[in-house]
Amino acid sequence: MMKKRLSLALAATMALSMAVTGCGGGKDASGTSAAENGAGTSGETTAASGNTGEAGDIGIDTTGFFLSVLNADIQTVDVQKTSKDYAVPMNVFDRLVEIEVDGQGNSKIVPSLAKDWDISGDGLEYTFHLRDDVKFQNGNDFTAEDVLYTFERLLTVEGGVNTELLDQVKGAAEMIDGSAQTLEGVEVVDSYTVKITLTEPFAAFLSCLTAPGLSIFDSEATKAAGDQFGMDPAATVGTGPFRFAAWSFNSQLVLVRNENYWKGAAPLPGVVIKIIPDTETQTMMFENGELDIIDLDFVTDATDRFLETYPDQIVSGPRVGITYLTMNFNIEPFQDVKVRKAFQMAIDRQAILDALYGGRGQVEQGIYPFGLIGYNEGQTKISYDPEGAKALLAEAGYADGFSMELAADSSSSDTAIMTLEIIKEQLAEVGIEANIKNYDESTWLETRKSGELSSFLSTWTADFNDPENFIYTFFGNEEKTKIRSINYPDTAVMDRVGAARGIVNEDERLAEYRSLEEKLIHEDAAWVPMYSRTHLWAVSKRVQDFKPVWSGVSDLVYYGVSLSE
Amino acid sequence: MNDKIEKNISSQIGEEDTWLDKGKTLVRQNKIAAFSALVILLILLAAIFAPLVAPYDHLEQSLADRLKDPSAAHWLGTDELGRDVLSRIIFGARISLTIGLVPTLISMAIGTVLGLCAGFYGGKTDFIIMRLADVMLAFPSLLLAMVVMYTMGGGLVNIFIALSLVNWAGTARIVRSQTLSLKEKEFVEAARSMGVGKWTIMFRHILPNCLPSLIVLFTLNIPAAILSEASLSFLGIGAQPPSPSWGLMAVRGKKYLFSEPWLSIAPSAAIMVVVLAFNFLGDGLRDILDPYLKEQ
Amino acid sequence: MFTKILKRIAISIPVLLGVVLAIFIMLRIVPGDPATTMMGEHVNPAVIEKISREMGLDQPLYIQFFKYIGNALRGDFGTSYRLNRNVAQIILDSFPHTVRLSLLAALVAWTIGVTAGVIAAIRQNRLLDRLFMGGALMGVSMPVFMTALILQYVFAFKLKWFPVSGFDSLQAMILPAIALGWNSAGSIARMTRSNLVEVMQNDFIRTARAKGLRENGVIVRHALKNAMLPVVTMMALQISSMLSGAVLTESVFGVPGIGRLAVNGIETRDMPLLQGTVIFTTILIILGNLAADLLYSVLDPRIRESA
Repeated sequence: MMKKRLSLALAATMALSMAVTGCGGGKDASGTSAAENGAGTSGETTAASGNTGEAGDIGIDTTGFFLSVLNADIQTVDVQKTSKDYAVPMNVFDRLVEIEVDGQGNSKIVPSLAKDWDISGDGLEYTFHLRDDVKFQNGNDFTAEDVLYTFERLLTVEGGVNTELLDQVKGAAEMIDGSAQTLEGVEVVDSYTVKITLTEPFAAFLSCLTAPGLSIFDSEATKAAGDQFGMDPAATVGTGPFRFAAWSFNSQLVLVRNENYWKGAAPLPGVVIKIIPDTETQTMMFENGELDIIDLDFVTDATDRFLETYPDQIVSGPRVGITYLTMNFNIEPFQDVKVRKAFQMAIDRQAILDALYGGRGQVEQGIYPFGLIGYNEGQTKISYDPEGAKALLAEAGYADGFSMELAADSSSSDTAIMTLEIIKEQLAEVGIEANIKNYDESTWLETRKSGELSSFLSTWTADFNDPENFIYTFFGNEEKTKIRSINYPDTAVMDRVGAARGIVNEDERLAEYRSLEEKLIHEDAAWVPMYSRTHLWAVSKRVQDFKPVWSGVSDLVYYGVSLSE
Repeated sequence: MNDKIEKNISSQIGEEDTWLDKGKTLVRQNKIAAFSALVILLILLAAIFAPLVAPYDHLEQSLADRLKDPSAAHWLGTDELGRDVLSRIIFGARISLTIGLVPTLISMAIGTVLGLCAGFYGGKTDFIIMRLADVMLAFPSLLLAMVVMYTMGGGLVNIFIALSLVNWAGTARIVRSQTLSLKEKEFVEAARSMGVGKWTIMFRHILPNCLPSLIVLFTLNIPAAILSEASLSFLGIGAQPPSPSWGLMAVRGKKYLFSEPWLSIAPSAAIMVVVLAFNFLGDGLRDILDPYLKEQ
Repeated sequence: MFTKILKRIAISIPVLLGVVLAIFIMLRIVPGDPATTMMGEHVNPAVIEKISREMGLDQPLYIQFFKYIGNALRGDFGTSYRLNRNVAQIILDSFPHTVRLSLLAALVAWTIGVTAGVIAAIRQNRLLDRLFMGGALMGVSMPVFMTALILQYVFAFKLKWFPVSGFDSLQAMILPAIALGWNSAGSIARMTRSNLVEVMQNDFIRTARAKGLRENGVIVRHALKNAMLPVVTMMALQISSMLSGAVLTESVFGVPGIGRLAVNGIETRDMPLLQGTVIFTTILIILGNLAADLLYSVLDPRIRESA
């Protein structure tokens, strides 16, 4: 009799949980699940199982697919609404022009959807001649109208975050504030010619166009998708080598080859991007053959072991980002250039790079990191010189040192925190007592924007490949330098930074940028350039022809990769 | 077997037993619990006298000696900044035991007072306090602690607040149920008829009779708090470096699982030893002290 | 009986409201403006203001609260800041994974817990008692993420018996279920043991013994039956600790369940997501407790009489 009661209790509990589960399944079946929509409407996939509501069951045969990984799921594939989740967009969409970086860190802009372009003598008009053989994945033709639509949407879409990419285009400001319904600066000359007019010369404009945020959308499909664009795989259409086929949140993203890709179909039938938050799990998966690639950024600490274990399976690429340590000009005693120079000299950057990153990368000396247009190999070096630093501090009247705060953002990586711990020790050697203070992310950000944050360590990665993206962000004007809590005071220098954006002659422009870099970092010691790091991946034995492509945050492009069986 | 059970019963019922007698019973009947008490005492001493016991300064870095295997110089090797792992574990005992003790004391103090009030006054007071306790008990403890830490950010003091907030309700429930039965007892009636004040009755007469359960609860809540902190550290909202709580050390060390496993295994083992010891001690104490507490 | 059920349900309602209110208030005293946090590096004051308005953050707190309750009753938990999706939908999509993991884990917990508890009770205060209790307590003595990691390392990575991560097959779910279940086994073992010890001292067991029944027979036939009832109700309490443990287990094994959502919410400072997840799980636990209470009063004749 007791047994019966027990099983009754069990059954009731099960029923309760099933009831709730069933409820979940029911909603799924109504068709809002991204995964099912993707599977259900795509031509070559089998019908989704419909009523199970299981995110893992996507009904796509993924045999032979490349197995990739991310450690957190993306927000959306709509690149106009995200400033970091480029993993899928880089493969699903194309841009008017692309960027290529060679092993020496030199980069150049190459044609993509635009086969060539003319720039007017005053640097204000860009005329793009578009390819006439490109189709979107839904069969629609790619035309100049799509370019206009994409740019207008970028400025007006709800939740858009990348409007600054088009800041210089004539009429952009009017569209953002709602006083204009059309974008004046983009003119459809004919189906395959589009003319873009700027309000002022902006030399970095072409580089800007390579940003993932300026991926070109299909006007018809995107309009029809509404806010499901970027969320519902079937509704998310581009011209790229892969189709966004399925998305099970927190589980996986699936890309399937676009057979009609204008550059020729990709060798890979598709890509599965798994979402695995735990890096040790990723490592074990890679070593057990459950992954074809692992981004060693996620497992920085295990990089040495990977290099040893898989010497022939390591791929590296430029990262195009600089790690820097700030000094707040408004905080005592950083007004004094001698203190700032001493601060620069007190930090052994090579030792940190060696200890925490196995020396993979290079110590930087300025503002523009390795791999960026304008990177200057031959510039003045800051040397590690604790004795010299002490002498400078004494000269400045701080023979006994001083105490200061290192502001840590609690959401930053363990490695970043360790870097601060090392810097703290190194500063102690010249008599500077640095206290690491932890801020939660939002307080950190708000204090920084108010201009009151003390020294902090951060990394700026290029949004697009141009020095403008670096120097203007930090030293463009009073407001810019304040929200970075640097408070650089020399307005004449900052005016020059602003004016440099409009220099049409490329050589003159780069020369001006270099001279500004020298002034800011070596004369005024405005920050401590730390290092740029090499981005490494390990790939499985079966991966062929994998090449990291420059894309601002080094997301992967799977076009051209193949798997040997 | 029969005899033994009889003996247990008599020792459980024997109200006249002194604490010393109870201690003797513990040593006699539950060797593991007694041994656990010894282990806890030793770790406590090591924590208190950490600077004397630890071979190195736990914060001293030596980038040249990073990630060294265990050796005669460094019994548990060195960590990613070249700091001695053994020393860090000894100093970490301070943090982890504090994390175990402080929130447990706070939460139990809150829980005891509220439980006494609820049980003694009954009626609306009881209803309100117990519904409040129901609300707290309804939350999955880790999720609630996560929300508190999300709100206030990481750091030791916030961990104390989070864990105190999470854990008081259990104590309140137990104290209340004991108060309910105790307040019907003769000695309480007698005190009341003599005109003794309510608070005096609560704290002088009822509370001492709840002590055995509270002691057991105390021993069982400490390891729970230590583990909760480890979980919060895993989620990045626990203790903050460079304070080496064992949980944080395990989390940071686990990245080196494949090449330097001691970095995560050693602090995890420290946690395990302490948690097991407290659990065994708690179970042993319960067998001896407390006929009420079975549902923990 | 019926009035008792009604009363019990009536008591649950203020608790439910209290839970929602508590979470609601806690999440709104977060320092910093959620809209700013959400936008991160890309600062555009106009956009932030617009988002604040859309999220209703410019309204008084009590209005926000009643709106939230009203919407929640209609199954609308708001829209995630970061994911731009309906929170209720994300939760319902993730929930089945957690249910499956928890059911399997419960099976593990019960197998380990009851076995260890029974053996420990039979051999009370002897070596076997300590060994089995120690074994059951091991799971709760390690941080769950380390238990998970070690299981994964040994059985998936070294021995290759199971996949390292995954959730769509029974085989893949076994390790996560052990990691999670073992964590709960300790308390089940402890309760089984102490109930058994108590029940075995009861008169009817003595009578049974006196009648000459063999010891094991006594235990299995009489004592265990009586000892299990309170343990069964503990199942409801286990839901709570399982869901706490799932937060960690799911992260380690990459299971896209509801625990991951809570972590997502924390990591991306996505308040509606965190709020929805915590409220949803808590409601679940309250309902579970309610069901267990009712079940218990139906099953246990003593309580039925006293009601």
